[in-house]
Amino acid sequence: MKMHDVVIIGAGPAGLSAAIQCRTYDLSVVVIDEFPKAGGRLLGQLHEEPNGEWWNGIKESNLLIEEAENLKTDIRLGVSVHHVERLENHYVVHTNTEHVAAKTVLIATGAAESAAPIPGWTLPGVMSIGAAQVMTNVHRVSVGEKGIVVGVNVLSAAIARELQLAGVDLHSMALPATNVVSEDQSNPRAVMERLVRIAHLAPSKFIQFGSKFATFEFVRNIALNFYPKDGIKMWDMPIHLRKAIKEINGTDRVESVTMVDVTPDGDIIRNTERTIEVDFVCIAGGLYPLGELAAVVGCPFEYNEALGGHVPIHNEAMETPIDGVYVAGNITGIESAKVAREQGKVAGLSIVKALTDNAEVAEKVDAAITNVQQTRDEATIQFHPEINEGRATISASFEQLIK
Amino acid sequence: MKDVIICRCEEVSLTDLEDAAKKYNCSARELKLRTRAGMGFCGGRTCRPAVDKVLTSITGEDPTNNIPLKVAPPVRPLSLSDLGGVNHD
Repeated sequence: MKMHDVVIIGAGPAGLSAAIQCRTYDLSVVVIDEFPKAGGRLLGQLHEEPNGEWWNGIKESNLLIEEAENLKTDIRLGVSVHHVERLENHYVVHTNTEHVAAKTVLIATGAAESAAPIPGWTLPGVMSIGAAQVMTNVHRVSVGEKGIVVGVNVLSAAIARELQLAGVDLHSMALPATNVVSEDQSNPRAVMERLVRIAHLAPSKFIQFGSKFATFEFVRNIALNFYPKDGIKMWDMPIHLRKAIKEINGTDRVESVTMVDVTPDGDIIRNTERTIEVDFVCIAGGLYPLGELAAVVGCPFEYNEALGGHVPIHNEAMETPIDGVYVAGNITGIESAKVAREQGKVAGLSIVKALTDNAEVAEKVDAAITNVQQTRDEATIQFHPEINEGRATISASFEQLIK
Repeated sequence: MKDVIICRCEEVSLTDLEDAAKKYNCSARELKLRTRAGMGFCGGRTCRPAVDKVLTSITGEDPTNNIPLKVAPPVRPLSLSDLGGVNHD
Protein backbone atom coordinates (compact mmCIF):
# COMPACT_ATOMS: atom_id res chain seq x y z
CA MET A 1 0.00 0.00 0.00
CA LYS A 2 1.40 3.39 -0.98
CA MET A 3 1.96 5.77 1.92
CA HIS A 4 0.49 9.20 1.21
CA ASP A 5 1.19 12.37 3.14
CA VAL A 6 -2.49 13.11 3.73
CA VAL A 7 -5.93 11.74 3.05
CA ILE A 8 -8.59 14.43 3.00
CA ILE A 9 -12.10 13.16 3.65
CA GLY A 10 -14.64 15.52 2.08
CA ALA A 11 -14.28 17.52 -1.14
CA GLY A 12 -16.26 20.54 0.01
CA PRO A 13 -14.88 24.05 0.42
CA ALA A 14 -12.76 23.02 3.43
CA GLY A 15 -11.34 19.81 1.94
CA LEU A 16 -10.58 21.33 -1.46
CA SER A 17 -8.86 24.41 -0.14
CA ALA A 18 -6.78 22.24 2.20
CA ALA A 19 -5.83 20.03 -0.75
CA ILE A 20 -4.74 23.10 -2.73
CA GLN A 21 -2.37 24.15 0.07
CA CYS A 22 -0.94 20.66 0.46
CA ARG A 23 -0.41 20.25 -3.28
CA THR A 24 1.19 23.69 -3.51
CA TYR A 25 3.91 22.29 -1.25
CA ASP A 26 3.97 19.07 -3.27
CA LEU A 27 2.61 16.74 -0.60
CA SER A 28 1.04 13.53 -1.85
CA VAL A 29 -2.67 14.00 -1.34
CA VAL A 30 -5.78 11.87 -1.82
CA VAL A 31 -9.15 13.61 -1.55
CA ILE A 32 -12.16 11.32 -1.06
CA ASP A 33 -15.85 12.26 -1.27
CA GLU A 34 -18.92 10.06 -1.42
CA PHE A 35 -20.84 12.40 -3.71
CA PRO A 36 -20.22 11.99 -7.48
CA LYS A 37 -19.30 15.68 -7.79
CA ALA A 38 -16.73 17.68 -5.85
CA GLY A 39 -17.84 20.86 -4.07
CA GLY A 40 -19.80 19.52 -1.13
CA ARG A 41 -22.76 21.55 0.05
CA LEU A 42 -21.31 24.54 -1.77
CA LEU A 43 -22.88 23.06 -4.92
CA GLY A 44 -26.39 23.84 -3.73
CA GLN A 45 -25.84 27.41 -2.64
CA LEU A 46 -27.30 30.40 -4.45
CA HIS A 47 -28.22 33.62 -2.73
CA GLU A 48 -28.06 37.37 -3.04
CA GLU A 49 -25.76 39.12 -0.60
CA PRO A 50 -26.80 42.41 0.99
CA ASN A 51 -24.42 44.29 -1.35
CA GLY A 52 -26.44 42.97 -4.30
CA GLU A 53 -23.87 40.44 -5.45
CA TRP A 54 -24.90 36.84 -6.00
CA TRP A 55 -23.14 33.99 -4.25
CA ASN A 56 -23.17 31.13 -6.73
CA GLY A 57 -21.92 27.96 -5.05
CA ILE A 58 -21.38 26.09 -8.32
CA LYS A 59 -19.07 28.82 -9.60
CA GLU A 60 -17.23 28.97 -6.29
CA SER A 61 -16.71 25.21 -6.21
CA ASN A 62 -15.56 25.20 -9.84
CA LEU A 63 -12.85 27.71 -8.94
CA LEU A 64 -11.59 25.41 -6.19
CA ILE A 65 -11.83 22.28 -8.32
CA GLU A 66 -9.96 23.93 -11.17
CA GLU A 67 -7.17 25.07 -8.89
CA ALA A 68 -6.90 21.62 -7.30
CA GLU A 69 -6.83 19.95 -10.71
CA ASN A 70 -4.15 22.31 -11.99
CA LEU A 71 -2.05 21.10 -9.07
CA LYS A 72 -2.74 17.49 -10.14
CA THR A 73 -4.69 16.62 -7.01
CA ASP A 74 -5.92 13.03 -6.77
CA ILE A 75 -9.67 13.46 -6.13
CA ARG A 76 -11.70 10.24 -5.81
CA LEU A 77 -15.45 10.77 -6.03
CA GLY A 78 -18.36 8.45 -5.32
CA VAL A 79 -16.23 6.72 -2.68
CA SER A 80 -17.50 6.32 0.89
CA VAL A 81 -15.18 6.22 3.88
CA HIS A 82 -16.54 3.92 6.55
CA HIS A 83 -13.63 3.72 8.98
CA VAL A 84 -10.40 5.49 9.87
CA GLU A 85 -7.95 3.15 11.55
CA ARG A 86 -5.11 4.47 13.67
CA LEU A 87 -1.94 2.42 13.49
CA GLU A 88 1.37 3.05 15.24
CA ASN A 89 2.63 5.85 13.01
CA HIS A 90 0.10 6.19 10.23
CA TYR A 91 -3.57 5.92 9.39
CA VAL A 92 -5.52 3.60 7.13
CA VAL A 93 -8.67 5.05 5.63
CA HIS A 94 -11.17 2.30 4.77
CA THR A 95 -13.49 2.97 1.85
CA ASN A 96 -15.98 0.85 -0.03
CA THR A 97 -13.46 0.44 -2.86
CA GLU A 98 -10.00 0.45 -1.28
CA HIS A 99 -7.82 1.16 1.71
CA VAL A 100 -5.69 4.30 1.59
CA ALA A 101 -2.73 4.77 3.92
CA ALA A 102 -1.42 8.18 4.98
CA LYS A 103 0.72 9.88 7.59
CA THR A 104 -2.05 12.36 8.35
CA VAL A 105 -5.82 12.60 7.92
CA LEU A 106 -7.98 15.68 7.48
CA ILE A 107 -11.62 15.07 8.34
CA ALA A 108 -13.73 17.67 6.52
CA THR A 109 -17.05 15.86 6.45
CA GLY A 110 -19.23 18.92 7.01
CA ALA A 111 -22.63 18.73 8.58
CA ALA A 112 -25.79 16.65 8.43
CA GLU A 113 -29.37 17.74 8.86
CA SER A 114 -31.24 17.04 12.07
CA ALA A 115 -34.55 15.36 11.49
CA ALA A 116 -37.53 17.07 13.11
CA PRO A 117 -39.99 14.19 13.36
CA ILE A 118 -43.67 15.06 13.15
CA PRO A 119 -46.46 12.56 12.53
CA GLY A 120 -46.37 11.47 8.89
CA TRP A 121 -42.76 12.51 8.27
CA THR A 122 -41.85 9.10 6.84
CA LEU A 123 -44.30 9.39 3.92
CA PRO A 124 -42.80 9.59 0.42
CA GLY A 125 -42.76 13.24 -0.60
CA VAL A 126 -41.38 14.40 2.75
CA MET A 127 -37.75 15.42 2.54
CA SER A 128 -35.25 17.50 4.44
CA ILE A 129 -34.84 21.05 3.17
CA GLY A 130 -31.26 20.20 2.19
CA ALA A 131 -32.46 17.33 0.02
CA ALA A 132 -34.82 19.73 -1.75
CA GLN A 133 -31.86 22.04 -2.31
CA VAL A 134 -29.71 19.29 -3.83
CA MET A 135 -32.55 18.07 -6.06
CA THR A 136 -33.25 21.59 -7.28
CA ASN A 137 -29.81 23.15 -7.64
CA VAL A 138 -27.55 20.15 -8.24
CA HIS A 139 -29.69 17.55 -10.00
CA ARG A 140 -32.13 20.10 -11.47
CA VAL A 141 -35.13 17.96 -10.67
CA SER A 142 -38.41 19.53 -9.58
CA VAL A 143 -39.31 18.46 -6.05
CA GLY A 144 -43.07 18.68 -6.67
CA GLU A 145 -46.00 20.83 -7.70
CA LYS A 146 -46.76 22.57 -4.46
CA GLY A 147 -45.08 22.26 -1.10
CA ILE A 148 -44.67 23.68 2.35
CA VAL A 149 -41.60 24.24 4.52
CA VAL A 150 -41.81 23.05 8.12
CA GLY A 151 -39.23 24.77 10.30
CA VAL A 152 -38.26 28.43 10.14
CA ASN A 153 -34.54 29.11 10.44
CA VAL A 154 -31.58 30.62 8.62
CA LEU A 155 -31.06 27.59 6.43
CA SER A 156 -34.69 27.01 5.51
CA ALA A 157 -35.29 30.67 4.66
CA ALA A 158 -32.27 30.69 2.35
CA ILE A 159 -33.22 27.43 0.65
CA ALA A 160 -36.90 28.34 0.35
CA ARG A 161 -35.74 31.36 -1.60
CA GLU A 162 -33.64 29.15 -3.87
CA LEU A 163 -36.61 26.86 -4.52
CA GLN A 164 -38.69 29.90 -5.33
CA LEU A 165 -36.04 31.17 -7.79
CA ALA A 166 -36.19 27.77 -9.47
CA GLY A 167 -39.94 28.16 -9.95
CA VAL A 168 -41.05 25.76 -7.23
CA ASP A 169 -44.42 26.71 -5.71
CA LEU A 170 -44.30 26.99 -1.92
CA HIS A 171 -47.46 27.57 0.12
CA SER A 172 -45.59 29.03 3.10
CA MET A 173 -43.09 28.37 5.85
CA ALA A 174 -44.47 27.38 9.25
CA LEU A 175 -43.24 25.90 12.51
CA PRO A 176 -43.38 22.21 13.44
CA ALA A 177 -46.03 21.59 16.11
CA THR A 178 -44.46 21.18 19.49
CA ASN A 179 -43.23 17.74 20.58
CA VAL A 180 -40.36 16.35 22.60
CA VAL A 181 -37.95 16.49 19.65
CA SER A 182 -38.89 19.77 17.98
CA GLU A 183 -38.55 21.81 21.20
CA ASP A 184 -37.23 25.25 20.36
CA GLN A 185 -37.96 24.82 16.64
CA SER A 186 -41.64 25.00 17.66
CA ASN A 187 -41.35 27.92 20.04
CA PRO A 188 -42.29 31.15 18.26
CA ARG A 189 -40.22 33.22 20.70
CA ALA A 190 -37.07 31.22 20.12
CA VAL A 191 -37.60 31.21 16.37
CA MET A 192 -38.25 34.95 16.33
CA GLU A 193 -35.02 35.62 18.18
CA ARG A 194 -33.07 33.67 15.61
CA LEU A 195 -34.89 35.22 12.67
CA VAL A 196 -33.87 38.70 13.74
CA ARG A 197 -30.38 37.74 12.67
CA ILE A 198 -31.29 37.14 9.05
CA ALA A 199 -33.75 39.99 8.77
CA HIS A 200 -31.23 42.22 7.00
CA LEU A 201 -31.27 39.77 4.10
CA ALA A 202 -34.99 40.23 3.54
CA PRO A 203 -36.24 42.71 1.01
CA SER A 204 -39.43 43.05 3.04
CA LYS A 205 -39.67 46.48 4.63
CA PHE A 206 -41.72 45.02 7.46
CA ILE A 207 -38.98 42.63 8.48
CA GLN A 208 -36.20 45.17 8.02
CA PHE A 209 -38.17 47.62 10.11
CA GLY A 210 -38.84 44.94 12.67
CA SER A 211 -35.23 43.90 12.91
CA LYS A 212 -34.12 47.32 14.07
CA PHE A 213 -36.40 47.12 17.08
CA ALA A 214 -36.80 43.44 17.61
CA THR A 215 -33.53 43.29 19.51
CA PHE A 216 -35.66 44.39 22.46
CA GLU A 217 -37.57 41.58 24.08
CA PHE A 218 -40.79 43.56 24.57
CA VAL A 219 -40.87 44.40 20.88
CA ARG A 220 -40.56 40.74 20.01
CA ASN A 221 -43.43 39.95 22.39
CA ILE A 222 -45.65 42.57 20.78
CA ALA A 223 -44.69 41.35 17.33
CA LEU A 224 -45.62 37.79 18.23
CA ASN A 225 -48.88 38.75 19.91
CA PHE A 226 -49.98 40.77 16.92
CA TYR A 227 -48.35 38.56 14.31
CA PRO A 228 -50.26 39.04 11.03
CA LYS A 229 -52.79 36.29 10.27
CA ASP A 230 -51.41 35.88 6.78
CA GLY A 231 -47.85 35.70 8.02
CA ILE A 232 -45.04 38.09 7.20
CA LYS A 233 -44.08 37.91 3.57
CA MET A 234 -40.49 37.40 2.60
CA TRP A 235 -40.05 37.39 -1.18
CA ASP A 236 -43.88 37.11 -1.41
CA MET A 237 -43.90 33.89 0.55
CA PRO A 238 -45.71 33.92 3.90
CA ILE A 239 -43.64 33.03 6.95
CA HIS A 240 -45.86 31.90 9.79
CA LEU A 241 -44.65 32.04 13.37
CA ARG A 242 -48.12 31.59 14.87
CA LYS A 243 -49.07 28.59 12.76
CA ALA A 244 -47.63 25.12 13.03
CA ILE A 245 -47.83 21.88 11.11
CA LYS A 246 -49.27 19.20 13.35
CA GLU A 247 -49.36 16.32 10.95
CA ILE A 248 -48.50 15.27 7.41
CA ASN A 249 -51.30 13.29 5.79
CA GLY A 250 -51.53 10.79 2.94
CA THR A 251 -51.87 7.07 2.31
CA ASP A 252 -49.02 6.19 -0.05
CA ARG A 253 -47.52 9.64 -0.35
CA VAL A 254 -47.96 13.20 0.87
CA GLU A 255 -51.42 14.56 0.09
CA SER A 256 -51.81 17.36 2.62
CA VAL A 257 -50.69 18.82 5.92
CA THR A 258 -52.75 19.78 8.96
CA MET A 259 -52.02 23.33 10.07
CA VAL A 260 -52.99 24.74 13.48
CA ASP A 261 -52.72 28.13 15.16
CA VAL A 262 -50.33 28.36 18.09
CA THR A 263 -49.85 30.78 21.00
CA PRO A 264 -46.67 32.91 21.27
CA ASP A 265 -45.30 30.04 23.39
CA GLY A 266 -46.06 27.43 20.76
CA ASP A 267 -49.08 25.82 22.42
CA ILE A 268 -51.67 24.57 19.94
CA ILE A 269 -54.93 26.56 19.94
CA ARG A 270 -57.85 24.14 19.85
CA ASN A 271 -60.24 23.85 16.93
CA THR A 272 -57.97 25.67 14.52
CA GLU A 273 -57.08 22.65 12.37
CA ARG A 274 -57.24 23.09 8.64
CA THR A 275 -55.98 21.02 5.77
CA ILE A 276 -53.62 22.36 3.14
CA GLU A 277 -53.13 20.32 0.02
CA VAL A 278 -49.48 19.83 -0.91
CA ASP A 279 -47.54 17.12 -2.70
CA PHE A 280 -44.24 17.65 -0.94
CA VAL A 281 -43.05 18.80 2.46
CA CYS A 282 -39.58 20.09 3.34
CA ILE A 283 -38.61 19.61 6.97
CA ALA A 284 -35.93 21.96 8.27
CA GLY A 285 -34.49 20.80 11.58
CA GLY A 286 -31.16 22.60 11.27
CA LEU A 287 -27.63 21.30 10.85
CA TYR A 288 -25.29 19.42 13.16
CA PRO A 289 -21.54 18.74 12.70
CA LEU A 290 -21.00 15.31 11.17
CA GLY A 291 -18.31 13.90 13.41
CA GLU A 292 -18.71 10.13 12.99
CA LEU A 293 -15.21 9.54 11.59
CA ALA A 294 -13.56 11.78 14.16
CA ALA A 295 -15.34 9.73 16.83
CA VAL A 296 -14.25 6.45 15.26
CA VAL A 297 -10.58 7.50 15.19
CA GLY A 298 -10.78 8.45 18.86
CA CYS A 299 -11.04 12.26 18.94
CA PRO A 300 -12.47 13.60 22.17
CA PHE A 301 -15.68 15.60 21.70
CA GLU A 302 -17.36 18.53 23.38
CA TYR A 303 -21.00 19.50 23.41
CA ASN A 304 -20.99 23.11 22.22
CA GLU A 305 -24.36 24.64 21.45
CA ALA A 306 -22.98 27.65 19.59
CA LEU A 307 -21.14 25.34 17.22
CA GLY A 308 -24.23 23.23 16.54
CA GLY A 309 -23.81 20.19 18.79
CA HIS A 310 -21.03 17.69 19.49
CA VAL A 311 -17.79 18.77 17.85
CA PRO A 312 -14.34 17.15 17.93
CA ILE A 313 -12.02 19.17 20.17
CA HIS A 314 -9.52 21.14 18.08
CA ASN A 315 -7.45 24.31 18.14
CA GLU A 316 -7.33 27.30 15.78
CA ALA A 317 -4.65 25.55 13.71
CA MET A 318 -7.27 22.81 13.05
CA GLU A 319 -5.28 20.20 14.95
CA THR A 320 -7.06 17.67 17.14
CA PRO A 321 -5.45 16.20 20.27
CA ILE A 322 -4.75 13.09 18.19
CA ASP A 323 -1.42 13.45 16.48
CA GLY A 324 -1.87 13.56 12.70
CA VAL A 325 -5.65 14.04 12.71
CA TYR A 326 -6.95 17.41 11.56
CA VAL A 327 -10.47 18.81 11.13
CA ALA A 328 -11.87 21.73 9.10
CA GLY A 329 -15.19 23.09 7.92
CA ASN A 330 -18.60 22.43 9.41
CA ILE A 331 -17.45 19.40 11.40
CA THR A 332 -15.85 22.02 13.67
CA GLY A 333 -19.05 24.08 13.96
CA ILE A 334 -21.89 25.26 11.74
CA GLU A 335 -20.77 28.31 9.77
CA SER A 336 -20.80 29.63 6.22
CA ALA A 337 -18.96 28.04 3.30
CA LYS A 338 -16.60 31.01 3.23
CA VAL A 339 -15.43 30.27 6.76
CA ALA A 340 -15.08 26.57 5.89
CA ARG A 341 -12.89 27.47 2.92
CA GLU A 342 -10.56 29.57 5.09
CA GLN A 343 -10.44 26.84 7.75
CA GLY A 344 -9.44 24.37 5.06
CA LYS A 345 -6.57 26.61 4.14
CA VAL A 346 -5.42 26.66 7.76
CA ALA A 347 -5.67 22.87 8.03
CA GLY A 348 -3.74 22.37 4.79
CA LEU A 349 -0.95 24.68 5.91
CA SER A 350 -0.84 23.06 9.36
CA ILE A 351 -0.33 19.68 7.69
CA VAL A 352 2.43 21.12 5.49
CA LYS A 353 4.03 22.60 8.59
CA ALA A 354 3.94 19.24 10.37
CA LEU A 355 5.36 17.24 7.47
CA THR A 356 8.00 19.57 6.05
CA ASP A 357 10.59 21.81 7.61
CA ASN A 358 9.68 24.83 5.57
CA ALA A 359 10.19 27.85 7.83
CA GLU A 360 7.86 30.20 5.96
CA VAL A 361 4.84 27.96 6.52
CA ALA A 362 4.47 28.71 10.23
CA GLU A 363 3.85 32.36 9.42
CA LYS A 364 1.37 31.39 6.75
CA VAL A 365 -0.60 29.31 9.23
CA ASP A 366 -0.90 32.33 11.53
CA ALA A 367 -2.00 34.56 8.66
CA ALA A 368 -4.58 31.99 7.57
CA ILE A 369 -5.95 31.79 11.12
CA THR A 370 -6.40 35.57 11.07
CA ASN A 371 -8.26 35.23 7.77
CA VAL A 372 -10.70 32.75 9.30
CA GLN A 373 -11.66 35.24 11.99
CA GLN A 374 -11.91 38.08 9.50
CA THR A 375 -14.18 36.01 7.26
CA ARG A 376 -16.32 35.09 10.27
CA ASP A 377 -16.66 38.75 11.26
CA GLU A 378 -17.73 39.70 7.74
CA ALA A 379 -20.23 36.85 7.32
CA THR A 380 -23.70 37.96 6.30
CA ILE A 381 -25.38 34.91 7.82
CA GLN A 382 -24.41 33.95 11.33
CA PHE A 383 -25.86 30.57 12.25
CA HIS A 384 -25.39 31.20 15.94
CA PRO A 385 -24.96 34.62 17.64
CA GLU A 386 -22.42 33.27 20.12
CA ILE A 387 -20.16 31.72 17.53
CA ASN A 388 -17.07 33.56 18.83
CA GLU A 389 -17.69 32.38 22.40
CA GLY A 390 -18.22 28.84 21.10
CA ARG A 391 -14.94 28.95 19.20
CA ALA A 392 -13.10 30.28 22.27
CA THR A 393 -14.50 27.50 24.46
CA ILE A 394 -13.40 24.73 22.13
CA SER A 395 -9.89 26.19 21.78
CA ALA A 396 -9.63 26.40 25.57
CA SER A 397 -10.70 22.75 25.84
CA PHE A 398 -7.92 21.80 23.44
CA GLU A 399 -5.29 23.64 25.49
CA GLN A 400 -6.61 22.04 28.67
CA LEU A 401 -6.47 18.60 27.14
CA ILE A 402 -2.93 18.66 25.77
CA LYS A 403 -1.41 20.09 28.94
CA MET B 1 -52.57 11.75 16.92
CA LYS B 2 -50.75 9.01 15.09
CA ASP B 3 -47.66 7.87 16.88
CA VAL B 4 -44.64 9.60 15.48
CA ILE B 5 -41.73 7.48 14.28
CA ILE B 6 -38.39 8.65 15.68
CA CYS B 7 -35.99 6.12 14.11
CA ARG B 8 -37.22 5.37 10.61
CA CYS B 9 -34.76 2.61 9.72
CA GLU B 10 -35.81 0.46 12.66
CA GLU B 11 -39.34 1.93 12.84
CA VAL B 12 -39.12 2.85 16.50
CA SER B 13 -41.87 5.20 17.64
CA LEU B 14 -41.91 7.74 20.43
CA THR B 15 -44.35 5.48 22.29
CA ASP B 16 -41.98 2.51 21.95
CA LEU B 17 -39.22 4.58 23.53
CA GLU B 18 -41.42 5.98 26.28
CA ASP B 19 -42.85 2.57 27.12
CA ALA B 20 -39.41 0.93 27.26
CA ALA B 21 -38.05 3.76 29.39
CA LYS B 22 -40.93 3.40 31.83
CA LYS B 23 -40.78 -0.38 31.95
CA TYR B 24 -37.02 -0.74 32.46
CA ASN B 25 -36.21 2.62 34.07
CA CYS B 26 -32.97 2.61 32.09
CA SER B 27 -30.16 4.83 30.76
CA ALA B 28 -30.18 6.35 27.28
CA ARG B 29 -27.68 3.76 26.10
CA GLU B 30 -29.69 0.84 27.41
CA LEU B 31 -32.84 2.29 25.87
CA LYS B 32 -31.09 2.42 22.50
CA LEU B 33 -30.03 -1.21 22.79
CA ARG B 34 -33.48 -2.35 23.90
CA THR B 35 -35.39 -0.56 21.14
CA ARG B 36 -32.68 -0.46 18.41
CA ALA B 37 -33.40 3.27 17.94
CA GLY B 38 -30.51 4.74 15.95
CA MET B 39 -29.05 1.32 15.13
CA GLY B 40 -30.44 0.87 11.62
CA PHE B 41 -29.18 1.10 8.08
CA CYS B 42 -28.23 4.79 8.23
CA GLY B 43 -26.14 4.24 11.34
CA GLY B 44 -28.13 6.92 13.09
CA ARG B 45 -27.10 9.67 10.71
CA THR B 46 -30.72 10.69 10.12
CA CYS B 47 -32.16 10.32 13.59
CA ARG B 48 -29.19 10.68 15.94
CA PRO B 49 -30.02 14.20 17.20
CA ALA B 50 -33.72 13.30 17.51
CA VAL B 51 -32.99 10.03 19.32
CA ASP B 52 -30.57 11.85 21.64
CA LYS B 53 -33.23 14.40 22.54
CA VAL B 54 -35.89 11.81 23.18
CA LEU B 55 -33.59 9.62 25.24
CA THR B 56 -32.29 12.47 27.39
CA SER B 57 -35.77 13.91 27.87
CA ILE B 58 -37.18 10.52 28.87
CA THR B 59 -34.29 9.46 31.11
CA GLY B 60 -33.56 12.97 32.41
CA GLU B 61 -29.85 12.62 31.62
CA ASP B 62 -28.01 15.80 30.71
CA PRO B 63 -26.33 16.05 27.33
CA THR B 64 -22.68 15.35 28.10
CA ASN B 65 -19.52 16.05 26.16
CA ASN B 66 -19.35 12.46 25.05
CA ILE B 67 -21.34 11.58 21.97
CA PRO B 68 -24.41 10.07 23.62
CA LEU B 69 -24.76 7.07 21.34
CA LYS B 70 -21.42 5.49 20.58
CA VAL B 71 -20.21 5.60 16.98
CA ALA B 72 -18.70 2.40 15.62
CA PRO B 73 -17.33 1.51 12.20
CA PRO B 74 -18.50 0.94 9.55
CA VAL B 75 -20.18 4.36 9.54
CA ARG B 76 -21.66 3.73 6.10
CA PRO B 77 -23.64 0.75 4.88
CA LEU B 78 -21.43 -1.53 2.80
CA SER B 79 -21.49 -5.03 1.39
CA LEU B 80 -19.80 -7.90 3.18
CA SER B 81 -17.44 -8.46 0.26
CA ASP B 82 -16.29 -4.85 0.50
CA LEU B 83 -15.90 -5.18 4.24
CA GLY B 84 -14.06 -8.46 3.85
CA GLY B 85 -11.57 -6.80 1.57
CA VAL B 86 -12.15 -9.01 -1.49
CA ASN B 87 -11.42 -5.99 -3.66
CA HIS B 88 -8.65 -4.55 -1.51
CA ASP B 89 -4.94 -4.88 -1.99
